Amino acid sequence: MRLNWKTFVLSFLVILVLFPFIYMVLLSLATDWRFPDLMPNYIGLKNWKTILNSETGLLESFFQSLFISLSVGIVSTFSGFFISRSVYYHPKRKYLNLLTYFPYILAPVVFAACLSFFFIKMGLFGNIGGVIIAQFLIGFPYAMIFFSSFWNKKIRHYEDLVATLGGNRRQTFIKVLLPLAKSMLLICFFQTFLISWFEYGLTSIIGIGKVQTLTIKVFLFIKESNNYYGALSCCLLIFPPVVLLYLNKRYVFKNLV
Amino acid sequence: MFLEVERVFKSFQKEKVVKDLNFSLDPQHTLSILGKSGCGKTTMLKTISGLVKPDSGRIMLNGEDITMQKPEKRNIVYLYQEDLLFPHLNAFENIAFGLRLKKISESEIKIRVNNMIHSLELEKQALKMPNQLSGGQRQRVSFGRAIITNPSLLLLDEPFGSLDSGTRQRMQVLFKKLSAEFKITSLFVTHDLKEAVLMGDQIGYMREGMLKVYKNKTDFVNDPETGVQNEIEFWDNLKIRTGTEMSGL
Repeated sequence: MRLNWKTFVLSFLVILVLFPFIYMVLLSLATDWRFPDLMPNYIGLKNWKTILNSETGLLESFFQSLFISLSVGIVSTFSGFFISRSVYYHPKRKYLNLLTYFPYILAPVVFAACLSFFFIKMGLFGNIGGVIIAQFLIGFPYAMIFFSSFWNKKIRHYEDLVATLGGNRRQTFIKVLLPLAKSMLLICFFQTFLISWFEYGLTSIIGIGKVQTLTIKVFLFIKESNNYYGALSCCLLIFPPVVLLYLNKRYVFKNLV
Repeated sequence: MFLEVERVFKSFQKEKVVKDLNFSLDPQHTLSILGKSGCGKTTMLKTISGLVKPDSGRIMLNGEDITMQKPEKRNIVYLYQEDLLFPHLNAFENIAFGLRLKKISESEIKIRVNNMIHSLELEKQALKMPNQLSGGQRQRVSFGRAIITNPSLLLLDEPFGSLDSGTRQRMQVLFKKLSAEFKITSLFVTHDLKEAVLMGDQIGYMREGMLKVYKNKTDFVNDPETGVQNEIEFWDNLKIRTGTEMSGL
């Protein structure tokens, strides 16, 4: 029988990609797993029950992260959409577009250090509002760059057409521009949500340990060398992105194709 | 006069695009405007529709000064060369678009759109999305969407420019029919000589931002600047040459 190399390589790659995730779930369910044991002595929900009921505040961090990322995602997407339109119609749009790349020239930690003075002055250090604003400063330019490709001559013609058909600015947005940009808005929201969800450097400096997002928590567990809790928080960390990826594939790309 | 344009000027930076625009148009008439690319035709239409503000001059529509009025208040519809159908709406909803903006009742929208669909001979296409329609059908939906709002003035910027010759001919006939049926007053910009003559009750020729409107079609044909004489000469020569070749056989 001839060996089908294609299937073999493909299976190997799938295992290679899935293994870390399976291992992580297994680790979060295990206790007392020591070398040379092939399998852990206990597999169950003990870790999950302990950590979710204890004072580690993992569940609180999860909801806090969700709140921060949803706020950053929604505000960045919509402000990016509307402001990128104004930039497109601005005579100096080339220079304004160039400015949107500025936050990405610096490493997030350096960027946060630059911002810290202003955040202290405004009393935004160490609170959720400050973290949302700091992450927005990363998410918003991303949304601006993302939507710069949406605005073009044809969209302008659509706007003009709606105006001559009797539509005001609000109607133009609600009836034409937002439906036309629906898929892009969803993708941008997913992307900015993920940027915020996995943000570490900026959050750790502006949050100064008081705002403990799930990403910060994961690093804390890893620093403590608590593999089981680290794996558990990683499972929580990847849960929303997986859901978003599924929704993205199921609804957004389906509409695009 | 229904439309009166008086001494309208428009410049972009230092370039004068429209110079001393002066003309008038009777109601339910079509003025064909011929001119080469970049001569200022589009800017002229955009100025009349309110999409571009004139530097000076006055535009009167039905006795009312509309020079400073916003485009959405003018009741002047501007149609591009592209059909610009909304891709998220089907043909019916595209035609109903202007009526929905005006918040007209659902029952009236249904009646008016169905009548328009009948006039446009698009009964079988009503529920199709724009990407399922042919070029001619798309252009018809675009016309329907503009005409159904009962505009005071329709501005057409080379509306058949992207169509093949057969479809273009059918669309010209349809436009004439619709113009009569819905009593449309329009400015029809084209760079096609034949189309200008066929579509317009009056003809104008635009050159370097200046518009000259002819009293009648004979004046237009006799003016050497319009290129009609060259065209006639070309076809005459071709006819003679073909005749000689035929007699040589």
